[in-house]
Amino acid sequence: MNPQELLARAKEEGRSLLEPEAYAVLAAYGIPVLDYRLATSPEEASRMAEEIGFPAAMKVVSPDVIHKSDSGGVKLGIGSPAAAAEAFAEINDAVAESVEDARIEGVLIVPMAAGGIEVIAGMVRDPQFGPAVMFGLGGIFVEILKDVAFEIAPVSREEAGRLIKSIKGYPLLAGARGSKPCDLESLGSVITGLSRLALELDEVKEIDLNPVLASPDGARVLDARILL
Amino acid sequence: MEAGKTSDKPRDLDLLFNARSVAVVGASANPEKLGYEILNNLINMGYSGPIYPINPKADEILGLKAYPSLSDVGQPIDLIGVIVPGKFAPGVIEEAGKLGVKNAVVISGGFREIGNDELEAAMVAAAEAGGVGIIGPNCQGINYPANKLCLSWPLIKRKGGLALICQSGTIAAALGDRADKEGIGIAGLVALGNRCDIDESDLIEFFGADPNTDAIAVYLEGIRDGEKFMEVGKRVGKLKPVLVLKGGRTERGRKAAESHTKSIAGRGEIFDAALRKVGFEKVESIDELYDCAKALSAEKKRPGKRVQVLTSSGGSGIVAVDILEELGLDVAPLSEAGRKRLAETLPSHCVIGNPLDLTGDTPAERYQEAVLALAETEPGIDLYLLIFGDPIPRATENCREIKAAVDRPLVACYIGGGEVEEVEFKKMNSLKIPTFPTPERAARAARSILTGRKE
Repeated sequence: MNPQELLARAKEEGRSLLEPEAYAVLAAYGIPVLDYRLATSPEEASRMAEEIGFPAAMKVVSPDVIHKSDSGGVKLGIGSPAAAAEAFAEINDAVAESVEDARIEGVLIVPMAAGGIEVIAGMVRDPQFGPAVMFGLGGIFVEILKDVAFEIAPVSREEAGRLIKSIKGYPLLAGARGSKPCDLESLGSVITGLSRLALELDEVKEIDLNPVLASPDGARVLDARILL
Repeated sequence: MEAGKTSDKPRDLDLLFNARSVAVVGASANPEKLGYEILNNLINMGYSGPIYPINPKADEILGLKAYPSLSDVGQPIDLIGVIVPGKFAPGVIEEAGKLGVKNAVVISGGFREIGNDELEAAMVAAAEAGGVGIIGPNCQGINYPANKLCLSWPLIKRKGGLALICQSGTIAAALGDRADKEGIGIAGLVALGNRCDIDESDLIEFFGADPNTDAIAVYLEGIRDGEKFMEVGKRVGKLKPVLVLKGGRTERGRKAAESHTKSIAGRGEIFDAALRKVGFEKVESIDELYDCAKALSAEKKRPGKRVQVLTSSGGSGIVAVDILEELGLDVAPLSEAGRKRLAETLPSHCVIGNPLDLTGDTPAERYQEAVLALAETEPGIDLYLLIFGDPIPRATENCREIKAAVDRPLVACYIGGGEVEEVEFKKMNSLKIPTFPTPERAARAARSILTGRKE
């Protein structure tokens, strides 16, 4: 399904996008996401985990689960096909127990990401200026230091570059203390992609990519929420 | 964008500011009343077109024939000032529309600001039906010295390069008053009030194209139409410096702004991003709004960040260096050649460096000698900050000669100069040598001129 169709279906069902749907929409706008699979049985989980490669991470996909980790819906460091099948069952049981009548669409399988710097990116709609893209360092930096910056859409490549450089933590991304600099082009494509998405898909109210992993080999979205 | 309004093109405001005739509806012979003060200011401003006081109970006000109503004037009227009680305003606007009046400055209050949305809607409907543009209501009016048009208070006659657009009458008046007293003058002043019709974007567009305007200072609590603001900003941001102070940055400030002018404000960071995108400058205080607009109306922006400080006062020089450095500018040391050249040029008790301390006995000419020497040996200097920290006569003449000889922006501070300062301060500002009363304000103004980037 293309982004419009995915949005139409979610809207019809009165919900926001599920994580794999969000990934598909982001990917359609050139935003780098992890390789992912949606498993609906333990057998599928084994096979798909093998395709993705180990170690893998598994997350429940449900319109009724808001806090995936707290509901037992996340398993990290899956090392084998057998462990994937087991994790599939455990996730289903844990979620069914903690969230009453939760509809479970399946379990998302992604490779475990390692290394790099956690950043956040997002999109909000301002009542006056329309869509704006947000970028900042993730984790404690956003919570405690509020090191984020905004740019009004449309955001050009050049403006995306300026936005990245405008945060206080930019030296960390540029390779502070001898570390290799992150792929800023790839980070820029997250920002310009969000801008294009916001301008084309009016139904999308808000996007929260937290975290995005920035590394010398490129940026990858590790978690995505797209609200309608 | 406010409910029910669609984004539209900026308005042609030529006949608002260049009105060829003005009626004052609610003019009064009673000096206690605003209707007297407005008419009196318009007359004393020296407005050259016909002025028609409108008052059903008077034959003559301030020596002018008064008319019972707009319809009784029998002559074309471009602009009306409206000072009657708010409840009569829709009727006045309706009548004005029928008579072909182009614009109205509605000073009267009693509309949306006190929750009377219906009255304001009735006036807007009358304006739309009659094709009348409205400034206000609930505003402190407009002043455009190029047309000697003052429909506002206080009376500010001095013509200069600053355009002031404010969602607060007092802030507009305060800035205008300061520009007048400092010898700078204004290109125009507009108090927006409730902006039921003509808004900040229309005015930024007008002053952006206005040949009298060098810099535009804006105080806003919210934007009326974000799309129009961005469209106008993209054009004007390239033409002229536009400085914006946004009231309501904090949560409590925002709440106060909402009740003051009923502005819908989004997140402050997004407002800042919008300004950055169109090349407008964000400022944080009324002083900064005034100072940066003043600096940028006199000096062109320049890439670079190196500042050379010259001072007669050691302490003021040090304070300036601290602020300049904190603002990200570079108070770089002099080269060997520069030091040598200054040692040859200046008396031996001067302290050579950056700041360059010419010491308390310095005549104004020493500043000129020093800058000319530096201009030859230190081409990397981007801006000179001159601190006159004593009663130093002829500072103005020397600054003018420096400006004529040196191709770099100049910012001055005059401090501790007693009566000599009073004379020189105003003279310098009136001749577009932006001069400030403290080193920190001069430093901040210098920062607004230098963009930091070296292209």
